[in-house]
Amino acid sequence: MEINRRHFIALIVGGAAGINATPLPWKSTDDIAIWTQNWPWVPVPPTGEFSHVKSICTLCPGGCGIEVRKVDDRAVKIEGRTDYPVNPGGICPLGMGGLQLLYNESIRFTGPMKRVGPRGSGKFIAITWDEALSTIAYRISDLRKQGRPEALAAIDGNPTMSTMASMIERLLKAVGSPNYVRIPSAEDTCRMTNLVMQGTEGPMAYDLENADYILSFGSGLLEGWGAPGRVMNAWGLWHEHTAKRKARVVQIESRASNTASKADQWLAPKPGTEAALALGLAHVIIKDHLYNADFVDAYSFGFNNWASSDGKKHMGYKTMVLNSYSPDQVAEITGLIPKDIVALARDFAGAKTPIATCGKGKGYLNGSLYEFMAVQSLNALVGNINMPGGVLVSDPPPLSPLPQTQNDTIASEGLKKHRLDHAGSGRYPFSKSLIGDFAKTITKSSKSPVNTLLVFSANPDFTLPDGGVFREALKKVPFIVSFSPYQDETSYMADLILPDHTYLEKMDDVVWPTGLQYPLYGISKPVVKPVYATRHSGDVIMQLAKRIGGSVGSSFPWKKYDAVLKETFLG
Amino acid sequence: MKNQASSSQKTSKVGLISLFNRFISFEKGSTFLPPFSFGVWIFFLAGLIPSLIVGWIIYPMVLYSKQPQPMNFNHALHLNPEIVDGIEGDTETERCLSCHAFREDGTFAGIPKLDKCLECHDDPESPLGETPEEQEFLTKYVAEEREIPWLSYYRQPDCVYFSHIAHVKMGDQDCETCHGDHGKTEKLPAYKVNRMTGYSINIWGRNIAGYKTNTWDRMKMDDCAECHTENDLEENNACFVCHK
Repeated sequence: MEINRRHFIALIVGGAAGINATPLPWKSTDDIAIWTQNWPWVPVPPTGEFSHVKSICTLCPGGCGIEVRKVDDRAVKIEGRTDYPVNPGGICPLGMGGLQLLYNESIRFTGPMKRVGPRGSGKFIAITWDEALSTIAYRISDLRKQGRPEALAAIDGNPTMSTMASMIERLLKAVGSPNYVRIPSAEDTCRMTNLVMQGTEGPMAYDLENADYILSFGSGLLEGWGAPGRVMNAWGLWHEHTAKRKARVVQIESRASNTASKADQWLAPKPGTEAALALGLAHVIIKDHLYNADFVDAYSFGFNNWASSDGKKHMGYKTMVLNSYSPDQVAEITGLIPKDIVALARDFAGAKTPIATCGKGKGYLNGSLYEFMAVQSLNALVGNINMPGGVLVSDPPPLSPLPQTQNDTIASEGLKKHRLDHAGSGRYPFSKSLIGDFAKTITKSSKSPVNTLLVFSANPDFTLPDGGVFREALKKVPFIVSFSPYQDETSYMADLILPDHTYLEKMDDVVWPTGLQYPLYGISKPVVKPVYATRHSGDVIMQLAKRIGGSVGSSFPWKKYDAVLKETFLG
Repeated sequence: MKNQASSSQKTSKVGLISLFNRFISFEKGSTFLPPFSFGVWIFFLAGLIPSLIVGWIIYPMVLYSKQPQPMNFNHALHLNPEIVDGIEGDTETERCLSCHAFREDGTFAGIPKLDKCLECHDDPESPLGETPEEQEFLTKYVAEEREIPWLSYYRQPDCVYFSHIAHVKMGDQDCETCHGDHGKTEKLPAYKVNRMTGYSINIWGRNIAGYKTNTWDRMKMDDCAECHTENDLEENNACFVCHK
């Protein structure tokens, strides 16, 4: 038989006919369609039992209430709590996306690590907790033996009144170092302002919900300022269509921020001239007799010229602003138009419950004390201090202080040394800590006065606006220990990583959420079990103290950090 | 080629029957020349038969991957109230619900977690029966407090919202309607999953042609719709009832 073209056609036709008489093409078509709907990289929520865990968010000092939806043991959604006083249902975008911080393995440290590559390279190898703790305990004990415990320093990003902050400060005290340095915050400057102008060191609080005119000196009301869940909620209330009178928001900021673009009015003075503008507004308010004379007479000092007990004459606030801060003079300084300044001052003084806020952006930088005082004096001029819809000043909440540390002679001698950042010295009498000067002292010294640096809850290498001075300082410090749960710029410079839990895995407190009208003590609780081999920094401090032993160990009599929290909030 | 052309002209008046005869005729030298020689038919079949074998036999074997369950579970044994204490209920469905329970919020728990097993098998040291499976279960899972990674035969894909309580409590359906005699088996069948879609074989059905005789043979959308229609619940065939 001769095989020709016809035979091949027959073979193909037979094959085609046969395949079409089977489910292959028909089911494959169906399956391909389904396959395109099920890409493996599209996240699909797990199936399981739903549950909700209530906690508070400790990502920022705002301490909003959160409710985390879980499917079995997996947290799948963070929402704002409707039954929490800080943020009625509100939550900020960062708080909403917090699960990324928990579950994104690529940004976390999964256990204690030791640096093996050069600093900043991010090359680490895993070690045991035992090895990590004994390394650091040995170093600190060695510094104490050499009689220079002040060469231990700590940088702390925990909120000012938090129990974690007091634990870290306590460790330094027990070891004998005065060099407890805090990450700057606008709250520090608010406290200083309150101390200088109100005589109390309590935080600055604003009754935003009842204010009808918000004059914001750079406060990022929509960008995380204060307790973000609350402030964004208040923004909603100000603009509600059913509101009897809508609030007016005026943003004074040199940058076209989100808040500036959404405000009713935006004024952009030259950067750093906000204080002059505040005094310029005061000039118009005083000149036009728009200020609350009753309030100023009853509750202020130094408004008019005054003489001290030694007979020396001092210039009063009124004279100063009338002489030096006329609209024309202020326009010259700020670059604004004089008539805008006059109109703004009249609007502000004419409002029923006006508030002038300070603290730029999210309030993560301390800002100028003079600027804060100039802004706060506007609130005083309109008499809106400790009034509904005004600025509220009160004492800190009555929490139990931790018992005194038991200092041995090494520690007592170390604590007598000067702070490296000169905070509290004659030059900076009101400052508690100055991280910029701390870095400068290190970079200026031929040999770093800091031998071992502990960094808690902070990434100063990235967040400080210091043009890289802090990084230069880090390069000179012989040994850096990071307690960060995340792989960030500062932890990449560290020699030893003792990763903390993330905020959803641990118990911690938020004492008086930023800017809230009244003191509130919130405790976060673990939403999920720790995902990796991390440890609560509060517990690690105690374990470390016990390893150092002596008076350091006995300064930490608690077994777990939870016990410290319990002792604190008993009040 | 010329021959063929001329022959077809010749037979143009013969009619359909003779045309068909001519078409199938293999007889050589007959008055009607066969259009296809014997050899052509052989080649046709050589294409047809293997492709049928590929499509009906090899394709299903390749399409589905077979995975054994982590361990065997004897449903027949556990559903016998005379052997197992915790199994209560007059109907088969109620007995199924003893373990495959509804949660408080009405959602269906599906395959029970280890906690459920521990209600009876609480002590890894003292087995309740004598089977080797139980031994394995006690040592591998109970003693180590580890969940058994069961493979679910009947899970609908993520794009489908399926509520068990609507069907079992409101619709009064028996488990058997969709799950067949799974509750009467002594051995768990192998879990077969479609390599392309990742769906369990029970969705398309074990018959590759999609042919079904029982209500539980297939769990595709048309099967849901068929039952809704039979029960005068055509409004439940609207897209958004299941594809939310």
